[in-house]
Amino acid sequence: MPVYLTPEQLAARNKRSLWIAVGLVAFIVLIFTTTFMRMQANMTARTAQDRALASAPAQPASMAETSN
Amino acid sequence: MTQAPAPIPVHVPSTTQPEDFFQLLKPRVMSLVVFTAATGLVVAPGSINPLVAAIAILCIAVGAGAAGALNMAIEGETDALMRRTRGRPVAAGRLKRNDAIAFGIVLSVFSVMLLGMNTNWFAAGLLAMTIVYYAVFYTMMLKRRTPQNIVIGGAAGAFPPVIGWAAATGSAPWQAWLLFLIIFLWTPPHSWALALYSAGDYAKAGIPMMPVAKGAKSTRLQILLYSLIFVPVAIAPGVVGMGGGIYLTVSIVGGLAFLALAARLWRSRAGDAPDKAEAVGREAALYDVRAEAKPARNLFAFSILYLMALFAALLVESFVVPGT
Repeated sequence: MPVYLTPEQLAARNKRSLWIAVGLVAFIVLIFTTTFMRMQANMTARTAQDRALASAPAQPASMAETSN
Repeated sequence: MTQAPAPIPVHVPSTTQPEDFFQLLKPRVMSLVVFTAATGLVVAPGSINPLVAAIAILCIAVGAGAAGALNMAIEGETDALMRRTRGRPVAAGRLKRNDAIAFGIVLSVFSVMLLGMNTNWFAAGLLAMTIVYYAVFYTMMLKRRTPQNIVIGGAAGAFPPVIGWAAATGSAPWQAWLLFLIIFLWTPPHSWALALYSAGDYAKAGIPMMPVAKGAKSTRLQILLYSLIFVPVAIAPGVVGMGGGIYLTVSIVGGLAFLALAARLWRSRAGDAPDKAEAVGREAALYDVRAEAKPARNLFAFSILYLMALFAALLVESFVVPGT
C-alpha cells in the first residue's frame, strides 16, 4: 500500500536526511583527522627513537681484546 | 468465501525537525559541561595538540548531550507533567521516545569511541561511565526513589573536568578529583534552590525532590549546610597551589557572597507558599517568582555565576600566569 507524504512530512524528512548526511561527513572527517594525527605522532616518536639508537655510543669491542 | 487480508502496518512518517533532536542534547547543560571539561583539560599539566584537545572537548560535549537525550527519552511522560519541562521534544510529542533512545545510544557509542581513538581509553571509559551513571543510575533508578537523588546523581555533572584532565594526561590525580568535588558539592544547593520555587511541579510528577519530601524549611537548612561545606572546598584549589591569586580572590569573594545568599535563603520563607506561576496557572520564565521565593531564585542564579567564575579563573591563570 503506497504511503503518500504531506508536504510538511516531506520537508521534515528531507531536512532530517540532510542533517544525517552532514553528521556522517563530519564524523568521517573527525575519524580521518584523528587517525592522521595519531599516525604522525607515532612516526615522530619512531623517528626520535631511531635517532637515539643511531647516536648511542657503539659497544666497545676493544674491551674483549685488552682483556686477553 | 475468502477473508479480507489483514491491514499492513505502515510506519507513518513524522514531522520531527532537526531542531528537536538538537533540543534533546540539553544545550544549556552541554555548555556548562564543555566549559568545565575544557578547564580540566587546560589546567592539567603538560601540553596537548590543540586539534586533539578540540576533538576531545567535542566528544565530551556530545557524550553529555547523549546522556541528556537518553534522560529526556526515559523521562518523557514525567516531563509532560511539569511546567518547566513539558515543552521538551519527547514530552510535547514532537519526537518519538524510541527515536530519542536510538539517537542517544548512537551518540554515546560514537563519542566514547572517538574519544578513545583521539586521546586514551581511560578518558573514554570515564565518559562511558558518566553516560551510564546519568541515564541509568540517576534517571532510571535514583530520581524517584530518594530525596538525595540530586546529591548522588549530581556526580554525573561533576565528571567532565576529570574526563578533560584524563584526556590530556591519561590519568586522574587528586587535583582532578578536587575539581570533581567542587561541582559535586555545588549541585545540591544549586538544584534545591531551584526546587524550592518549583516544588509544585515536582510534586505533580511524583519526584521526591527535597522540598517535596522533607519540606521547604528542611531544604533551606540543608542548602545552608551544603554551602558551608562547598565554599571551603571551592577555595581549596587556591590554597593547595592549583590556582593563584586570581582564583583565590574570586573564590573567596564569591564564596562569601554565596554564603550570604544561602544564609538569607535559610532565614526566608522561600518555598513555603506555592510558586508564582502555579498560583496564577500560567507558564513562567525560570526567574519569574513570588517575592518570598526571590532568595531561592537569587541563590540559584548566583550559583551558576559563581561556578563559571571559579573555572574561568583557573582558565585565565593557565593562559596568563606562567607555571600555573
